[in-house]
Amino acid sequence: MNGTTARSMAPDPSRGAAGGQREGDPEPAQSLARCHKVARTYGSGAAASVALQNVSCCVRAGDRIAATGPSGSGKSTLLHLLAGLDTPTAGTVTWPALGPRSSLRPGPVAVVFQAPSLLAPLNVAENVALPLLLAGVDEGDAGQRASEALATLGLEGLGTKLPEELSGGQAQRVVVARALASRPRLLLADEPTGQLDHANGALVIDALLAAAAADGAALVITTHDERVADRLAQRWRLDDGRLVTGATLECLA
Amino acid sequence: MLGLTWITGLLRRRPLRLVGVAAGIALAVGLLASIGAFLSRSKATMTHRAVAGVAVDWQVEAQPGADPAAVLSTVTAFPGVVTALPVGFADASGFQATSAGSTQTTGPGVVLGLPDGYARAFPGELRNLTGATSGVLLAQQTAANLHAAPGSNVVIQRPGQDPATVQVDGIIDLPQADSLFQKVGAPAGAQLQAPPDNVLVVPSARLAALFPASAGVPLRSQVHVRLDHRLPADPAAAFSTVTGKARNLEVRTAGAAKLGDNLGATLDSARGDALYAQMLFLFLGVPGALLAALLTVWVAAAGRDRRRREQALLRTRGATTRQLVGLASVEAAVVGIAGGAIGLARAAGVGRLAFGTASLGTTTGVAAAWAAGCLLGGLGVAWAAIAIPARADSRARTVRGAERVVSCRRAPWWTRAGVDLLALGGSALVFWLTGRKGYQLVLAPEGVPAISVSYWALAGPALLWLGAGLLAWRVVDLGLRRGRPVLRRLARPVAGTLAGTVAATLTRQRRILARAVVLVALTAAFAASTAVFNATYRHQSGVDARLSNGADVTVAEPPGSAVGPEAAARFAAIAGVRRVEPLQHRFAYVGSDLQDLFGVRTATVTAATQLQDAYFAGGTAKALMARLGAEPDGILVSAETVHDFQLQAGDHLQLRLQDGRTGKLTTVAFRYLGVAKEFPTAPRDSFLVANADYVAAKTGSDAVGAFLLDTGGHAPAAVARQARAVVGPGPAVTDLSTTRRLVGSSLTSVDLTGLTRVELGFALALAVAACGLALALGFAERRRTFAIAGALGAGRRQLASLVWSEAAVMVVGGLGLGAITGWSLSRMLVKVLTGVFDPAPSRLQVPWVYLSAVAVAGVAAAVVAAAAAVRSARRAPISVLREG
Repeated sequence: MNGTTARSMAPDPSRGAAGGQREGDPEPAQSLARCHKVARTYGSGAAASVALQNVSCCVRAGDRIAATGPSGSGKSTLLHLLAGLDTPTAGTVTWPALGPRSSLRPGPVAVVFQAPSLLAPLNVAENVALPLLLAGVDEGDAGQRASEALATLGLEGLGTKLPEELSGGQAQRVVVARALASRPRLLLADEPTGQLDHANGALVIDALLAAAAADGAALVITTHDERVADRLAQRWRLDDGRLVTGATLECLA
Repeated sequence: MLGLTWITGLLRRRPLRLVGVAAGIALAVGLLASIGAFLSRSKATMTHRAVAGVAVDWQVEAQPGADPAAVLSTVTAFPGVVTALPVGFADASGFQATSAGSTQTTGPGVVLGLPDGYARAFPGELRNLTGATSGVLLAQQTAANLHAAPGSNVVIQRPGQDPATVQVDGIIDLPQADSLFQKVGAPAGAQLQAPPDNVLVVPSARLAALFPASAGVPLRSQVHVRLDHRLPADPAAAFSTVTGKARNLEVRTAGAAKLGDNLGATLDSARGDALYAQMLFLFLGVPGALLAALLTVWVAAAGRDRRRREQALLRTRGATTRQLVGLASVEAAVVGIAGGAIGLARAAGVGRLAFGTASLGTTTGVAAAWAAGCLLGGLGVAWAAIAIPARADSRARTVRGAERVVSCRRAPWWTRAGVDLLALGGSALVFWLTGRKGYQLVLAPEGVPAISVSYWALAGPALLWLGAGLLAWRVVDLGLRRGRPVLRRLARPVAGTLAGTVAATLTRQRRILARAVVLVALTAAFAASTAVFNATYRHQSGVDARLSNGADVTVAEPPGSAVGPEAAARFAAIAGVRRVEPLQHRFAYVGSDLQDLFGVRTATVTAATQLQDAYFAGGTAKALMARLGAEPDGILVSAETVHDFQLQAGDHLQLRLQDGRTGKLTTVAFRYLGVAKEFPTAPRDSFLVANADYVAAKTGSDAVGAFLLDTGGHAPAAVARQARAVVGPGPAVTDLSTTRRLVGSSLTSVDLTGLTRVELGFALALAVAACGLALALGFAERRRTFAIAGALGAGRRQLASLVWSEAAVMVVGGLGLGAITGWSLSRMLVKVLTGVFDPAPSRLQVPWVYLSAVAVAGVAAAVVAAAAAVRSARRAPISVLREG
């Protein structure tokens, strides 16, 4: 696989070798991530489970997208494909404006996971600084930026706490702070409020929107919560692994 | 019903969890059962060897005035008696013989009258050296004193009668002269009566003719008895059986006879050795089984989080604490029984390979008891590993509450109380006490049925295990807590900007790491201490055999031989012989006491034999040989002689030796230099060591008693065969490997090869399992951590730095602390079990090859576990994160 494309094992002969673009195509302006006829199947044979099929979409700079749909509709799978955490079994995923897949994380893409994702042996400040350190930022700068991110989320006093000493809401806000600390261009949040009460959920969404606005980042959030979805400009609706409405396909043209 | 459903579900969904715990239990049960089988077999071997080593089981002596024929009749009819033959003893004032015109006379002696068939019935009592095997036989030492050989005439000086002359038919050795000439009926613990210096054996009828009743000098009559040897396998039980029968026979003779119970006395010694074997089991086997149990608990603990979650789910569906504990108990019972059964099957297989039998005991009852005991042990381990944690967890109301493992900042109570230091102090105290003079682990007073064992001595190694384990935990905890800056510096070359993260991870997970280091350290210590103890034991066993045999191969010249040291060239020419050392063997009178005297060439004696410092007192072996070499008239004597004659260093001794030119005793002056407690080929009682050249010059004879052949330890039996071909009949050729099998009835005669193989193999497996599992399970517990790091974008090198830093701490810390603990334990074990060694070791033997293999295998297991963890962390972090 080249550095810019995540594709199925059977390459689509209609697409070029670099970035899944046709030769001579102009680079779509501000196109951060693109999925073209993407499918993702888990398992094989009789036990195969299709999570996504024939999904095409793209995310551009400044987008505010809510990916909604019932449980098992493929929201998280799509998010993971956009984040480069997973590879499609068919179709291609590319990041035209972000570089090769191997450079997405740590770097221009940040992910807020649904499940608790703080490292237990590291305190809050160390957790937030971790993506920066992984990116090669020296410890002093990483610490400084981590402090700023924590302050943005109103978590200044929690820097020396361990994850097991935090409440669920605090932990999720720390995860958001960690995602913001690296100032990503594409911010992907998988059910960030799923385990929080309404007040804490609102705080997290506020922080995500504010950070995206401040850094000019695109924001994609998967959610069941209509109130969260309503706060975002665009809405993708998935059902049974298909993107049934809302996807902007102009960038694929 | 719920339990069945639960177990069926576990077998389908979590088979590895059950298999892991069952494998640990199988390991513990297998070791216990294997060592138990060895113990049981050792005891049977000891009994068998003790019985086989006794020439005459009982010597029943008719008391003055009693009718010897009636005593013989009673003994013959006694249940369990297989053979009973009458033996007569007569005292002679001395013996005389003339050879080459010179007449030699000895002091008092004994004439022994033996019936026909005695040599066949009691083959261990007489050993033919030369000439006929029946008729008039002269003891070796007497023959040497008289310059007599087959065909010589010997005059018997009879008290109250004229001397009588007999013609010698053969020369014999009396290997068990001590018991043959014992004072029958002497109270237990009485000092042994030295056998007579001069012995002549004649047929019973001849004895009666030589010492007729009419002469007024009564003969002593004994009945020599061989018993039915179907005895209990345990030496202590066999001892009770034999001594009980002996008392019964004495009662039946109604005072007409007293009984010398040689078999009982030998079993008496063997039962002490059996207790030593039992102590070996306790000292060497039990720690291994406990470590295997600890490993099992560790394996089970790796799945504790998953169990907690399962419990939480069950609780939300209404399960009570009692039901939760009940389900855990069912799981424990299933893995306990399965693991126990596998362990027993393994022990049976190992037993067949190592000890030649699959049985766990010498009888069905013993085997069943061992099997049941081991199974119960396995169930106990399963209970401790599964049910007890489940019970504790069932009280935790939330999974989150139970997951607080990183932030337990308060030091454990035992570190605050200093339990580790107290345990080490207690261990040091026991070590000091066991090093004091007079300490005996096993005390089996001669003739007393009860045996006492200093079980408190077990406290020494037990406290050392405990203290070392806890101290290792404290050291690792302290080092990781205070050493964060150092860890950061050490990690920087590999981890780069993640160095601080690596150091923080190590510091915060120090409790988990400390547990892993302790487990690795203890298994390494077990491997090291077991290997060093076994190597030292084996070495001393070899030393014992070498002490008895003298060298790899020894050619002992017959009495009266005049072969000089130049004959060494004949043996040097044999293929495989590296060096040959002639050793003089004479008899010398120290006052009226006849002792063996060995003439050595001090500069070269160690070329063919080994002299340990423990053989001497008042200096090292090397120093005393150097002093002896520097002073031609110097002599080393036994401690008993020093005591009896109140000798001081430099004192002159006037010894009487036979002059080779005249055949008469001549007085030779020596100067006392030091004490020899043991010497190759020397008897265990008194003997003397002097310069060969000085003895040769003063006696006019350089005759050699034995040639010591060094083969470098290679094929002594083959070299012995060639040596026999060179010397022909006459000289006795013995080799080390044969002697090793035959030596004494002490514990060193028990072949530890099988046990050593089992223990060392187990220790190696345990070390590998500890290193590999401790890491692998630790990583498995934290695979979510690595998955998160991977999802955040950690590269291979960055993930590797997190993994390898933990592996390095565990392996370096574990093996390092294990080496220190193992060395301390080895010293402790050798000191506490010093009675097992004969002779006592002067230093520990370290099997470097085995220990290196353990270290390499442990490191390799850790490397494999770490590499697998890195590989796993790089693969699909999302699937791990999805598990929640």
